[in-house]
Amino acid sequence: KRARRPKPCSLREMEVTVSELGLGYESDETLLFRYCSGKCTGHRRNYDITMDHMRRTGFRKKGRKDKVSNGPCCRPIAYEEDISFLDNRSRYHTIQDVSAQACGCV
Amino acid sequence: MILINIISLMFLLDVCVCVSELGPPGWREPLDCVRASELCNQNSQCSSRYRIMRQCLSGGDKERSTMLASKECQGALEVLQDSPLYDCRCKRGMKKELQCLQNYWSIHMGLTEGEEFYETSPYEPIHFSEEFRHASIISDSSLSKVTPCSEGGKSCNPCLDAAKACNLNDTCKRQRSAYIAICTKATPPQSSLANQEPCSRKRCQKALRQFFERVSWELSYPLLFCSCHDQACAERRRQTIVPACSHQERHKPTCIELRRTCRSDALCRSRLADFHMNCQVTSHTVTSCPHDNYHGCLMAYVGLIGSDVTPNYSDSSPSNITISLWCTCRGTGNQEHECDAFHRDFTHNTCLKNAIQAFGYGSEGGPLTVTEPQATFFPPAQPPIISKPAPSLHGNAIKPMDSACVFSTCANLQDGGQKCIPSEDFECEEALLAQGSINSQDTDGVKSSAQKSAPPFHHICATVSVSILAKLLL
Repeated sequence: KRARRPKPCSLREMEVTVSELGLGYESDETLLFRYCSGKCTGHRRNYDITMDHMRRTGFRKKGRKDKVSNGPCCRPIAYEEDISFLDNRSRYHTIQDVSAQACGCV
Repeated sequence: MILINIISLMFLLDVCVCVSELGPPGWREPLDCVRASELCNQNSQCSSRYRIMRQCLSGGDKERSTMLASKECQGALEVLQDSPLYDCRCKRGMKKELQCLQNYWSIHMGLTEGEEFYETSPYEPIHFSEEFRHASIISDSSLSKVTPCSEGGKSCNPCLDAAKACNLNDTCKRQRSAYIAICTKATPPQSSLANQEPCSRKRCQKALRQFFERVSWELSYPLLFCSCHDQACAERRRQTIVPACSHQERHKPTCIELRRTCRSDALCRSRLADFHMNCQVTSHTVTSCPHDNYHGCLMAYVGLIGSDVTPNYSDSSPSNITISLWCTCRGTGNQEHECDAFHRDFTHNTCLKNAIQAFGYGSEGGPLTVTEPQATFFPPAQPPIISKPAPSLHGNAIKPMDSACVFSTCANLQDGGQKCIPSEDFECEEALLAQGSINSQDTDGVKSSAQKSAPPFHHICATVSVSILAKLLL
């Protein structure tokens, strides 16, 4: 089996109905849901390398049990504008910050 | 890849349109009224009369008619009737549209001050090249993703499909969300006003006009003219323009008042005149529409949305379509006859009804109330500019909402028409779906994969259409 090169952090999209968003709205209207996914290995800073090392050594020595994330994370850095839709009871709703517009390793 | 094809196709079509405008002898594009008034201003005699004319029209309703009757105003009109301003026209959605319309009415209001019931539309007639361009794009548009449901499909809702198609297009989604957000936003509560409006009507109507101007008709019309088999669907169709804000009002005016309000505004007056001209029921044609031009009527109808006379479906009946304005003729006394005549052009308009049904249901499928031949969806409004016959483009090929096959002119051409015999349209639909799913199912790196797996289908489509064009132009 050939090793796959990890895909970098990027914007992906899929078609979902509003109901499937899990926000409690019931509507069969279909939207394009955009999200962020991919590896952020190329974006590690000294902070991440140090943190990784500290978690394994320094923290234990000093008795710390803090949770820290292991490296930069692929997250939306901008969201799409408001999305409006008509629900199954013929009422309009407008929702914000549902779909990603740009991704970054933060 | 698909996009590039579409763009290049549009570019090519644009070129063709320009060529055809130059081409035919004996037919001249009417001058636009902005240009006409510029020309008039270059001539000292014309410009002075034009200035006088504008003063004649500056007063209020009553003042105006006495002014217009005066010798000076009549003299000015006489001169201006020989100027380029007299038969200038405006283009829909042109730059400086409002200025153009104001220029138009500055002459024509004087000519028709006798309160003519129907006025001449200041807009150019919808001519062949324009429709041709529209029709051709259908084959490539995202509409082909919408699968019109066969009778008895368990969750058949073409209006929902239209919403989906809009949501999947960034411009359409943005513009739709914009008007919905504005039209459903409550005005800030003011305790002093007991009867405040639920929303900002003016802003809502402006956003609606913008939506229909900026979004291509292939995406906006299906939202408004989708065909329905049940009430849920019809209610969605009725809700398209957010009628609670854009259509209804707390106070229901008489239709006479409504018409007067509309006529005092250059844009509304123009759109109304355009509606009357393009949707006027006529007994001379099979479809009841002037020149059998459904598209012209739908365009004129859409032009009214967002004006003072915003029409809408009066209820959520799926099959029995009734369009009305938010006004009444009760208590109009001796004007009741005139009032009824005005409102009946909306409520009892066979041309409009047929146009809406033909768009949504196609010529098979739906309940067509009036007999209607197959090949009349995009008939030319004028004698076609292109003189050679173009049977494949006039016939069954161009009927947008007919069936899955008909969406794609190219499907016919590609397969020699084999798959697109109506009885076999399921097969064709499947083929279309299969093409579409290549794009949508691959969730990894959408952008790049879409480019790699661009279906050859669209490519063929574009090239075939172009070669047809080439033939037509020769």
